[in-house]
Amino acid sequence: MDKGTRILERIVQAANIRQKVISSNIANSDTPGYKAKDVKFNNLLGKEMKLAATDTKHIGFRKSGEVSGRTEIEDNLSWEDRNNVELDVEVAKMTENSLLHDAAVTVLSSKIRMYKNAMRTK
Amino acid sequence: MDIFKVSASALEAQRVRMNTIASNMANAHTTRTAAGGPYVRKDVVFSEMPVNSDFAEKLEGVKVSAVVQDNKPPLTIYDPGHPDADAKGYVSMPDINVMEEMVNMMMAVRAYEANVRAFNMSKGMYQKALELGRQ
Repeated sequence: MDKGTRILERIVQAANIRQKVISSNIANSDTPGYKAKDVKFNNLLGKEMKLAATDTKHIGFRKSGEVSGRTEIEDNLSWEDRNNVELDVEVAKMTENSLLHDAAVTVLSSKIRMYKNAMRTK
Repeated sequence: MDIFKVSASALEAQRVRMNTIASNMANAHTTRTAAGGPYVRKDVVFSEMPVNSDFAEKLEGVKVSAVVQDNKPPLTIYDPGHPDADAKGYVSMPDINVMEEMVNMMMAVRAYEANVRAFNMSKGMYQKALELGRQ
């Protein structure tokens, strides 16, 4: 498969991980002392789409690895119970994340369909 | 499928919280209990529960770590006609504010709904991923 497919895979994988972290935040919206977390992905696209402009029509790609990133504690204001989850913000993030995931899967699906069509003999 | 465990643990915890609140409201005027004396208001304590994940870090679900009793003293109400009134005509009633319980209940319901939403979204994402390659 081509590099684009790999990027899309990476987006699906990243969205999956982010969904997990957001779900944890929502689950703990009433847990005293819990701090909201979010994942920051490094080089998800930055490294992947290194614009090595050897030709103005080219976009350079680097060999891809696994999705890498880190979870960070959000610096929202904490309430009296030392919990800083903002439920509405988390739900909004979750919706956005799910849309990104579905978009990537849709594009990936059509790519697979393209390959299937290309392989068809008749 | 670790993500479903996270959301399900929260649903369970919020349900226990709702049960506790319902019990408080139902017993707002209960003067006799098995332990003797008026009903004592109860509250739940949530704590984080690590859920193993294929993701590098542990995810956090939630569990009810304790159901604690509120140590507010009972209200003393003058009602000489009450069968549980003392010699001076005072009755010990549970100190339960129905308004406070209602607000708590609404918060539990909202949190429950948010977790149902999270569960459904995760499910939707997996279903969408299963469509990959399907014509």
